[in-house]
Amino acid sequence: MIQALVTAATAEARPQDAIVRRPIKQKRDWAKWGLAIYFVLFLVFLYAPMILMGILSFQGPYGQLTFPFKGPMGLDWWRALIDENLPTYHAADIRIAAKNSLYLSLAAGAMVAFLSFTLSMAFRRRWRLRSDVAGFYLIMLALMTPGYLLAVGTQLFWAKLGWDTSIWKTALEAAVVWGIPFGFLVMIAVWNRYEKGVEEAARDLGADKKRTFREVTLPLVWTGIFGAFLFGFTLAWNDYDRTILFQNAATDTLPLTIGGFTFTGAIRPDLYALGTATTLFSLFVIALLLVVAGIRMRFAGRGAVHRVEEELGVAEELHVSETPEREAT
Amino acid sequence: MSSSSGGERQQLDIEELERAEEVIEQKPPKAEAALARQEQGEKGGGWLTAAWAAPGLLFLAFYLIVPLVFIVLVSFWTYQTGAKFGFVTDWTFENYSQVFQDRVYWDNMWSSFYRSLIAVFASLLFGFPIAYFLALKVNTLRNQIALFIIALAPFWTSSLTRSIAWTFPLTGREGAINKLGDMLGLWSPDDPLIEPLSATSVTIAMVQLYILFMVTPLFFTLSQVDRTAIEAARDLGGNWWRTFREVILPQVMPGVVIGSIFVFVLTMGEYGTVRLVGGNAVTSVGTIVNSQVELAVQYPQGAASAVLLVGALIVGVFVITRFSNLREDL
Repeated sequence: MIQALVTAATAEARPQDAIVRRPIKQKRDWAKWGLAIYFVLFLVFLYAPMILMGILSFQGPYGQLTFPFKGPMGLDWWRALIDENLPTYHAADIRIAAKNSLYLSLAAGAMVAFLSFTLSMAFRRRWRLRSDVAGFYLIMLALMTPGYLLAVGTQLFWAKLGWDTSIWKTALEAAVVWGIPFGFLVMIAVWNRYEKGVEEAARDLGADKKRTFREVTLPLVWTGIFGAFLFGFTLAWNDYDRTILFQNAATDTLPLTIGGFTFTGAIRPDLYALGTATTLFSLFVIALLLVVAGIRMRFAGRGAVHRVEEELGVAEELHVSETPEREAT
Repeated sequence: MSSSSGGERQQLDIEELERAEEVIEQKPPKAEAALARQEQGEKGGGWLTAAWAAPGLLFLAFYLIVPLVFIVLVSFWTYQTGAKFGFVTDWTFENYSQVFQDRVYWDNMWSSFYRSLIAVFASLLFGFPIAYFLALKVNTLRNQIALFIIALAPFWTSSLTRSIAWTFPLTGREGAINKLGDMLGLWSPDDPLIEPLSATSVTIAMVQLYILFMVTPLFFTLSQVDRTAIEAARDLGGNWWRTFREVILPQVMPGVVIGSIFVFVLTMGEYGTVRLVGGNAVTSVGTIVNSQVELAVQYPQGAASAVLLVGALIVGVFVITRFSNLREDL
């Protein structure tokens, strides 16, 4: 009887038992797609001038400064950068300038890396003392002083003392002053995520101060130092405002040479080729940074303190590294 | 009875626990002293700190402070034709009074200031959605970093080259924008959308050159905003605008302030871009100083103009920092 009741009850289709399958309304995030389109437009805004410049540099010998593209396509303007035998072209100047620029930027990178590392070592305790705040403002001042004014001041001071100014003696240093705040901020970001305990552990295991510094501290922060180097390098590589006053044909850097062509009206598509080449070189340097950081990440594994994301300050969470095995030796 | 004894035991446990915690929190006296020494930098620590700081501070003192101080000194010295470097070290206010009376200088200062202000607001307006998209709408960290680096890459290239690329192929009379407008029949090269060698062109070029200095701090502060806080605000019934104003905005204010300072200072002191993109039609304080120093060899007057520019920069930065207490918020 009970059985019959149960079967009767289940046989009867009750309306509330009916399973209604409605498609789940996945709310599409329209704001996200709108912003994505805006982001692409933004990239076009950022990159368009350079891309147009690059395209125009591949014009044939009849090429002009502006559109339309005058064919046939050719590498003539690029060859003009290298071939010194072509009359009325600046290949010789460009070669010297590129060499100067390279040496100058390497020196600037090394100086920025050294100075911002040592400065950050001094300030890696918390900002607390009044002298710390003064130091912080000094570094911010280096960031905010207009480059051209700094160059004027340096030139005046050196002239007054009767010293010779040159790219190496003054322009390099002005570029380094501009690079220090960037390198310093990179280093501060690294120290903020640095576990000081590993140094104490090393000391407890019997390493003296020098050895702790060499075998524990440096290996953990060297990507930061390299980042500071690259900042110094690219800022000097691209600098114009700080070097223009120390112009001298024999020691001109690439930006000065480019500026010289522009302002004297000697603009031809070879300038575009030169601009494209220096831009590509800069992009190559960044790619290098990413590759090095990537290799470092792979070697260091998941637990490393110095992943790129962390140095960029966007890490999800901090993975504090285990004490490196090396200390155990 | 049994319940009260249980309560007693519990209380005892708590007391014991508290005592244990106190013991745990107490550090060995030696270690504490060492920590205190380390933290206060006494006993050798101070010397070590000074040794670390010395190279950088000495460098900055010699190559940053001394030149700046020297500019101030020169601005009070007397201009004299025929003297070495065109000035003698007699104190005077003549340079400042000349600059103060120079209408051209003030017009320049004002137009530079006005351009910088527009550049700051334009960078904020156009840069904020970018930072917002990267920090809050892109899901994985890997994608965030990749897109951020793609957006950041132009910063590493020469602003001079970018100015050239901006001037001739894009906005020149025969540039791509005019060609496009001509093709679509919207504007003709005789009546261009962006007048080449004009203040408008310079301002847009500056936004293009420096907007990344706004996007970067915004991105960093926005990516530290707790996403769950935003969701909580939504769940509690806040609409988009209210969530934005009351949850997101207070947290990104330091980023807004830092970005504004960057863009303001960099555009105000700009020299190369103005000279290139603006041609001779647009002047800034930088080009004025340049013409006084390089062409007229009027060092004292150029120095006075420069000092006034730095003064304007300091006032501007001071006003901007009123919007957020930076050193505490960071």
